[in-house]
Amino acid sequence: MTAGAATGGQEALEARLGERAGRWARSAVVYGVVVAALAVVVGEWLDVSPPAAYGLCSACHGRDLADWVVNHTEGKRLFVTAAGAGWPLLTVLGLVAGSFAAARRNGEFGTVDIGGNVRQFLYGATVMCAALFVGGCPTRIIIRTGYGDLAGALALAGVAAGIVAATLTLRWAARR
Amino acid sequence: MIVSLSSLALGLVVGYLGQRSRMCSIGGLRDFVLVRDTGLLRGAGALLATSWVAFAVARLIHHSGGGHGLIASGTTPSGLGAVAAIVVGAVVLGFAATLSGACPLRQHVLAGQGRVGAWSFLAGFYLAAIVYTSWIQPSIGSWVL
Repeated sequence: MTAGAATGGQEALEARLGERAGRWARSAVVYGVVVAALAVVVGEWLDVSPPAAYGLCSACHGRDLADWVVNHTEGKRLFVTAAGAGWPLLTVLGLVAGSFAAARRNGEFGTVDIGGNVRQFLYGATVMCAALFVGGCPTRIIIRTGYGDLAGALALAGVAAGIVAATLTLRWAARR
Repeated sequence: MIVSLSSLALGLVVGYLGQRSRMCSIGGLRDFVLVRDTGLLRGAGALLATSWVAFAVARLIHHSGGGHGLIASGTTPSGLGAVAAIVVGAVVLGFAATLSGACPLRQHVLAGQGRVGAWSFLAGFYLAAIVYTSWIQPSIGSWVL
């Protein structure tokens, strides 16, 4: 076997592996497995605790970061969880940057403005208040339920009821 | 410092996978109710099942509290008022998030791939975080638990 044939085979193998990795990355189930495992590892071993089951949350980590910034620039004493009190939690920055990198790499990045920005602003404010009230964004509510958190399981049931109600409302409004 | 690095790394991975898989923790149930599509719902199920198994494994490796029963210690709501508060808050959360089109985590991903509506969503999101912890939380106290 010549060196050229060997590298050719290697390239084909790498291409096939890359294609398979790309297909896996598009699977929601793979996302669920990887994200839950990483969230548990980060929460249990890499200092993102207490509170318990705090590995991944877009609302609480965003609140911790926003309050950390306000506390350090304005000298306020807003509530920050023990995990994000010393060094800030940068999950939300990573989320946006990671999604930006994925979109750029796959040619899907593009600013799209479909309007309704005032409405989205109000929805954002409502969602944050409700999420901080029940103790987590929907993703963390799922992770908390996996932790065995009874309040989290109740919240998951409530969120599911809210989703079904909103979806049926939207369908009803669209059919009128 | 570990907490900043680990949370940033987790965010990068979740953001990347979230952009590729279009995963949304409320989108699964919405798609199922609307068009009986179970793709995203299976993702949410995988998230729940894997976190359940992973927490059980973590408890075996180091006994970090939380108890060994099905229900973790210290997570039982204190009474009917707390249960009602959780359920009402969660219904509002699910309702508003569905109307906005995506769960908060998915809105971060959409913001990263250039959706202007998601930027407005996040502006309201972070403003509300500061408003909530400055004024709303101190006045209503902790209802949940």
